[in-house]
Amino acid sequence: MNSNIKVIQPAGVLDGTQTHQFRGELDDIVNTGARVILIDLQNVTFMDSSGLAALVTAFKTVRSAGGKLCVCSVNQQVRMLFELTSMDRLFEIFADRDAFNETLNKV
Amino acid sequence: MNLQHRVSADLGVAESPSPVKIKVSSDLNVLAQVLAWFDQFKQPTLPYSVWLQCQLALAEGFTNAVRHAHRDKPTDTPVEIEVTTRSQAIEIRIWDSGSGFDLEHSLSTRPSLVEILGEGGRGLKIIQKTSDVFSYTRTSDHRNCLLMIKNFLPMTSSLVPG
Repeated sequence: MNSNIKVIQPAGVLDGTQTHQFRGELDDIVNTGARVILIDLQNVTFMDSSGLAALVTAFKTVRSAGGKLCVCSVNQQVRMLFELTSMDRLFEIFADRDAFNETLNKV
Repeated sequence: MNLQHRVSADLGVAESPSPVKIKVSSDLNVLAQVLAWFDQFKQPTLPYSVWLQCQLALAEGFTNAVRHAHRDKPTDTPVEIEVTTRSQAIEIRIWDSGSGFDLEHSLSTRPSLVEILGEGGRGLKIIQKTSDVFSYTRTSDHRNCLLMIKNFLPMTSSLVPG
């Protein structure tokens, strides 16, 4: 419906071996003009500080393009990592894609 | 306070340490395997949140060894990991054969975790935050040992779901 909204859905262990691909995917999406980007973490089983660093880079990339980065479907491990590093204050986190879409529909 | 005694008696678990070891190559792709290996240390008396913190500390310690200690070493340089479970603590040791570094100094010069938009350098801080004891020492066999100890209050069987 709205081509300015795009979803990225990484899977498995989001660590230093995946960050390059993740960044590439994000840059492509930002370059196509997407301004609201949802990172759906539903299929991410584990995230370490390298994965987190990739999210922070993504956040800054999207923000400097005038857009907004949201996150959804975080498991208990990822939530713990976010809380330890105060990322829960940086990212707008939604319970799942439905909750994210609901918010968009209200705008 | 004889909680430790009582819990040990209840569960029939002796306080004898039971170290379990794994030796892996210096390859970030091995992390998934290391994480899977750590699954065996889930146990009814260990709160899941504590297990998750230990799992994260282990991941940060392992990737730190690969990315920093063994940066200039061949991939087949071994990283040795040992986990010892006690009735109220988990000890994780990670040996690397790098040249070593001053942990105290690194921690004090590292940007604080509160510097939210920083892009790296969080690994050691995360270990510091999730462990009760955190040290990095040179061993007599010219390796380095990263030690992380996490204490926990065992869950009694009545609190274990199921």
